[in-house]
Amino acid sequence: MLVIALRRAGQAAMSALGGGVIVFVLLIAAPGDPARRILNIRGIEEPDPSEIAAVRAELGLDLPIPVRFLDWFLGLFRGDLGLSWRTGKPVASEFASRLPATVTLTVAALLIAVGLALLLGVLAGWRPRGPADHLSRALSTVALAFPAYLIGVLLLDLVAVRLGWGRVIADGTWGTVFLPAFTLALASAAVWSRVLRSALLDLDAAGFLRVSTARGASAARNMFVHRLPNALPPFLTVVGLGAATLLGGAPIAETVFSWPGVGRHTIEAITARDMPVVTAFTMIAVLAYVGVSLVVDLLIMVIDPRQRQSRVREAARP
Amino acid sequence: MTLFSAIFRPGQDQELAAIDTAGVLTRLLRRRDARIAILILTLVGAAAILGPLFTVDPDLPDYGNSLAPPGPAHLLGTDEAGRDLLARTLWGARISLGSALLVTTVTAAAGLLLGVISGCAGGVLDTVVSRLIDILLGLPGLIVTLAIVGLLGPGFLNLTLAMSATGWAALARLARASSRQTMHLGHVRAARMAGASLWRVAAGHVLPAAASGVAVVATLGIAEVVIALAGLSFLGLGAQPPTAEWGTMLADARQTLAYAPWQILGPGTGLVATVLAATMLSEALRDVTSPGAGQ
Repeated sequence: MLVIALRRAGQAAMSALGGGVIVFVLLIAAPGDPARRILNIRGIEEPDPSEIAAVRAELGLDLPIPVRFLDWFLGLFRGDLGLSWRTGKPVASEFASRLPATVTLTVAALLIAVGLALLLGVLAGWRPRGPADHLSRALSTVALAFPAYLIGVLLLDLVAVRLGWGRVIADGTWGTVFLPAFTLALASAAVWSRVLRSALLDLDAAGFLRVSTARGASAARNMFVHRLPNALPPFLTVVGLGAATLLGGAPIAETVFSWPGVGRHTIEAITARDMPVVTAFTMIAVLAYVGVSLVVDLLIMVIDPRQRQSRVREAARP
Repeated sequence: MTLFSAIFRPGQDQELAAIDTAGVLTRLLRRRDARIAILILTLVGAAAILGPLFTVDPDLPDYGNSLAPPGPAHLLGTDEAGRDLLARTLWGARISLGSALLVTTVTAAAGLLLGVISGCAGGVLDTVVSRLIDILLGLPGLIVTLAIVGLLGPGFLNLTLAMSATGWAALARLARASSRQTMHLGHVRAARMAGASLWRVAAGHVLPAAASGVAVVATLGIAEVVIALAGLSFLGLGAQPPTAEWGTMLADARQTLAYAPWQILGPGTGLVATVLAATMLSEALRDVTSPGAGQ
């Protein structure tokens, strides 16, 4: 099992490194001389060559590209995200004041999405093709058809106009997080509930269910003691991968509700062509994505003994 | 996490590569939900192609008529600049759906070519392409798209380029898997032994065999592409004003929503109808291609 876990960790490291190379290429391919842009912000409109050379040395722009990559990549783990081309300040300090709001938003969205997905999934899987299943399917199809930005705008309309609250306060705290988090969570909840439903239905052929039913287990006991725990691995996999996708949806939810997080800040940075901010956000999301997928896969190995023999599984696959 | 994985089982994309397209279409048309979905998509497509022929100029401002509610003169009302929202919705359909088609076509073509080349050539080239696919599939696609737009700058063409640059990987993996299967089939090995070159086999046997599966899977992904494109345009990273596009129209509507909620009607209905129909079609296709279906 340790070998498999280590191999999986190696894969994650490769993904992080590969993603790092792609993002670093985007960073150095950006047009314009970073040294000149930073001097311009510092109030020097027409810098002379010695000033440019000094900043280039400060930023390490004269080093060979592989060295610059390692510097940049390892810097990410030390919290050094480079200097913003727009303000000349460290990107890390710009993010430090905004990251908590984004973390609050994504964690709240994750909780809402998992809760809704469990509710809809269990409802649908209780009796396949029953009324609850059809209702759950209709709800998730509708939720998928309404993109987050449309739901957000509709919610704003509902709350601000129909309910007459005037305006929606979004200050980045837990007290005001529900509307943006709900907006962000809905599509993921729909997807995850479908996965949970099919994972529950896949179990129906399992012998242990017939045995437990024959021994007089109630439908509720079958669901919560036997079916749900066995359906968790595929569900956890999509939740794990989807959790980082929530971070990718953050820019939209934050923009709709004027939420003061890093997502909205990144969109502003894209418009201002401030590449270090854009790449910093990208790398945070990439590392979160790779890290969460790794944790989920290891977690599933702990829950589900079958996953520990990956070689047998691979051979059994059609 | 994608819409696709909500509808299909893990690994089903591999099965879709091997389906008999004509038979599936017949079975699909026998289902009511599939017929309704196709009807909706046809209507939306017809509105995008024909609608703009009958409307006023979508970018013509009329400041005296700002934020007029729906009425006989403007069926869907006007926006803040007094532009007719029906005209903007219909022209926006061209941009929104046209760009989604463009992205889907480019990703399908790139994925098919790279996958077939990788699968046929083998060796170092195959290893490099496969690792690149693995890396791209291991990254959050929407965020990498954002980073590429950051490099190229906001704009409609740049956005479609960035979407295409991240979207091909899943299709290439599919085309590669199909190519490797085809290469081992009897008639292909016979052709090789009879002296056909690798390129001839790739173009004559492997590519056509991989194409239908890639086309099906790419088409199923179109709802996601529509949502993502309009979403990034909503953020101001795609179509630039005054171009009518559903995402930008929603972003404009957000500013004056409190006084004029009808601005959501056109682009909102268009988006929901398109995505709903595309999702229904995908689910119907999942049902008819599942093992045991159609008996």
